[in-house]
Amino acid sequence: MKRTSNILIVAALAGGALLAACGKDHRKPGKIYMPDMYESRAYEFYNGKLANMKPVEGTVKRGEMLPYHLKEADTAQANAMKNPLVNLTAADLAEGKRLFDIYCGICHGQKLDGNGPLYNGGSGPYSAAPANFLAGKVAAYSEGRIFHVITYGFNMMGSYASQLDREQRWKVVAYIKSVQHPETAVVAAAAPAATADSTAK
Amino acid sequence: MYRRVSIRLRKHFVSVFILCAGLVLSTLTVSAADPAAGKALFQANCASCHNVHKKLTGPALAGVEGRWADKKLLHAWIKNSQKVLATGDKYANDLYLAYNKTAMTSFESFTDADIDNILAYVADEEKKGAAGPKVEGTATAAAADDSSSNSLIFGIVTLILAVVAIILMQINSNLHKLAADKTGDKVPEPVPFYRNKAYIALVIVILFMVGGYFTIQGAIGLGRQQDYMPEQPIFYSHKVHAGINQINCLYCHSSAEKGKVAMIPSENVCMNCHKAINEYTGPDLFTAEGKKVNGTAEIHKLYDAIGWDASAQKYTKPGKPIEWVKIHNLPDHVYFNHSQHVVAGKVQCQTCHGPIQEMDEVHQFADLSMGWCVNCHRTTKVQFADNKYYSIFEKLHEDIKNKKIDSVTVEMVGGTECQKCHY
Repeated sequence: MKRTSNILIVAALAGGALLAACGKDHRKPGKIYMPDMYESRAYEFYNGKLANMKPVEGTVKRGEMLPYHLKEADTAQANAMKNPLVNLTAADLAEGKRLFDIYCGICHGQKLDGNGPLYNGGSGPYSAAPANFLAGKVAAYSEGRIFHVITYGFNMMGSYASQLDREQRWKVVAYIKSVQHPETAVVAAAAPAATADSTAK
Repeated sequence: MYRRVSIRLRKHFVSVFILCAGLVLSTLTVSAADPAAGKALFQANCASCHNVHKKLTGPALAGVEGRWADKKLLHAWIKNSQKVLATGDKYANDLYLAYNKTAMTSFESFTDADIDNILAYVADEEKKGAAGPKVEGTATAAAADDSSSNSLIFGIVTLILAVVAIILMQINSNLHKLAADKTGDKVPEPVPFYRNKAYIALVIVILFMVGGYFTIQGAIGLGRQQDYMPEQPIFYSHKVHAGINQINCLYCHSSAEKGKVAMIPSENVCMNCHKAINEYTGPDLFTAEGKKVNGTAEIHKLYDAIGWDASAQKYTKPGKPIEWVKIHNLPDHVYFNHSQHVVAGKVQCQTCHGPIQEMDEVHQFADLSMGWCVNCHRTTKVQFADNKYYSIFEKLHEDIKNKKIDSVTVEMVGGTECQKCHY
């Protein structure tokens, strides 16, 4: 009896050592079975050979806003553009704020003061001062011009057309304008909010 | 007469002295330009296109006074560059062409003193830059990883213990034999252990258990990649970007709330920031193996891939794709949609991907097994508040209101239906 228990202990220890020694190479993905179920012949994005692709030229997704035709140099026409999203609700402005905080706030600051965490008063890693929406030249930009700059980029700023679709860009513009001119924004936001309530009832 | 004149002179002398002193003082304040005032002006007006040490939209300003032949011309240029170009000055026109005919904004409102202040600030920064930054972090290499040496120690200890156990067993049986001899008991001739049936049976059972364990573990592990941490073509640290610099996950993976895949960002997204950020100045970076990484060289790998010339601030050659290695792989018979989890389910990225903002190199945090998915669907409570996606489940809302149930799990709204994932 004693002998068996001794042997069991030895076996358990040996087994434990085996398991502990059994390392795994984290740089390798490991093995799969039935590879045809993992990598099917069906056409799919992100299958190891295909990543981001642009939509086919000249097509518009269902429910998407119509394309923006101005070219990068057409700043004069861009200045005169008006936001096609009318009757924006408070929820739309909140969405604009959320998008602004994610995509713009990192440089332009969540307070719109041109001092986001990447610039941080000149001590951050980003070496160019981002535009201030509350004072100076850019504060006077029309909503169309801001949309144009988001679409094509300007000076050091790159284009955000690949991250924000047209509707999102206009919502961001509406949010910026609502912060610059709170008095007009409140009126626009209050009326549709009331109608939304009435439909809910 | 003479006296009168002298008194007069003396009187005049005092006033003249005061006048002269005033003049000297005023010239002193003009010539000693104020870099602090210049800094404020620079930050507000110049910094979005110019940096002292780096070329941005406009040239780096270090040494700008030396480059212009005439200080007056430089002042004129800052006030209105178009006027200077019209005079046909060669340096100005060459500069204009070198920067793709990007006209510099006119600053007619600047006084000469303002411009001198700015130039003083630039000169100050230039001196600081020449003496200051070159303090590369010389932190010692990260501690060697302990896990491999640990398992070696465990193995050695196990072997020693096994040898000791065998010796003790031998002593034990010898003592038994001696005791039996002394008392004169008859002991059956001992059977050698390799023919002892009990031993053989035990070894077989152990082999069966150990072998079975590894076989089953191996079978379960097929197709699972938990902790998979491939080497990427560029050492991109999520810790630096999402952790230290607080960039939102969605900034790069913007399609996580729009579509099925979270998307590996295209290089134009990298260049939104890396057009200006061309060197790495943060804390030292190390690979998982403890090798030191040169962050600046990694940024330049990005430039190489997309054909960006950092010194000319231009795309100079056609790019080639960066072949990132996909980490999270699901078999094709499983459907997973990011937007449904992020937008409708309001699940945080870290719930499935782990503390990504602390990972230099990303590894697969969850095992992505079916049991893992189903467990989460069984316990996650649906967030109905302000979530139109679930408006069709009004009945459940009513049930909660009428106190029939107290909460709803994902399973109750079809979260464990086979077709949810297998279709």
